[in-house]
Amino acid sequence: MTTGVNKMSESVIRSKQAQREVNGISTEVVCTEFSNYIFVVLTQYGKIGTLISVTPDSRSNDLSTPTFSTKVLLGKDEPLTHVCAKNLAMFVSQESGNRPVLLGLALKDSSIDAIKQIKEMIKSCQVW
Amino acid sequence: MQNGAEFEGISVHNFSEKILEQVVHFHVMKLSGGFFLWVGSAPVLSNLAVSMSSKYDSMPLSTLVMGDPSNTAPNSLAQRLAKKTKKQVFVSYSLPMTDSSLSLLVENRIKKELELHPEHF
Repeated sequence: MTTGVNKMSESVIRSKQAQREVNGISTEVVCTEFSNYIFVVLTQYGKIGTLISVTPDSRSNDLSTPTFSTKVLLGKDEPLTHVCAKNLAMFVSQESGNRPVLLGLALKDSSIDAIKQIKEMIKSCQVW
Repeated sequence: MQNGAEFEGISVHNFSEKILEQVVHFHVMKLSGGFFLWVGSAPVLSNLAVSMSSKYDSMPLSTLVMGDPSNTAPNSLAQRLAKKTKKQVFVSYSLPMTDSSLSLLVENRIKKELELHPEHF
């Protein structure tokens, strides 16, 4: 099993991954860069789980705080999924030049504390 | 394997091949009980299909979760790979679909990789 951050750069597709225990649960993060999307897999099951697209809305004026649309493409469509997805993926989109984020989410623990730690893991896998 | 009992974590595998005068890139992400496969010549994610076997039908179920529904390439590739591997398969096929001989060669290249390196899928 890989620990820490792994760099893989032989293809046109760049991806980075990390594995860590979050509140005692083995958690994996894989970030993959596409020109039109950032694909982020966050899993405590080894699976993609629920697939959500997080898309920045086009802004009418630059002073307003940016808003995002979330859409569950595959899996259970419940309010918490949208909240977690926005919380986890908004900064990825903003940092990657407002690219939409395709998020695979399969978490056993969606507590605020876990989400915080997982966000740090995403930051360690920056491909954008 | 199905429940991830022997699963040793996500792994990523990239390979490329020159097919019909163009370089085609392949990106595989091995997951527990399945894999994600992206095929393309430029790093664009233009569609995504998911396929998995069902006990009610000999042909795996397949659905397009992203992209143009009139493009049947990702769905049919996902379905055939799900049938072959008995796994849940995610496929993004970002090559021009006008060329059917290209897609046939691409599929053969994937099958070759499946035989040579089953550990990556």
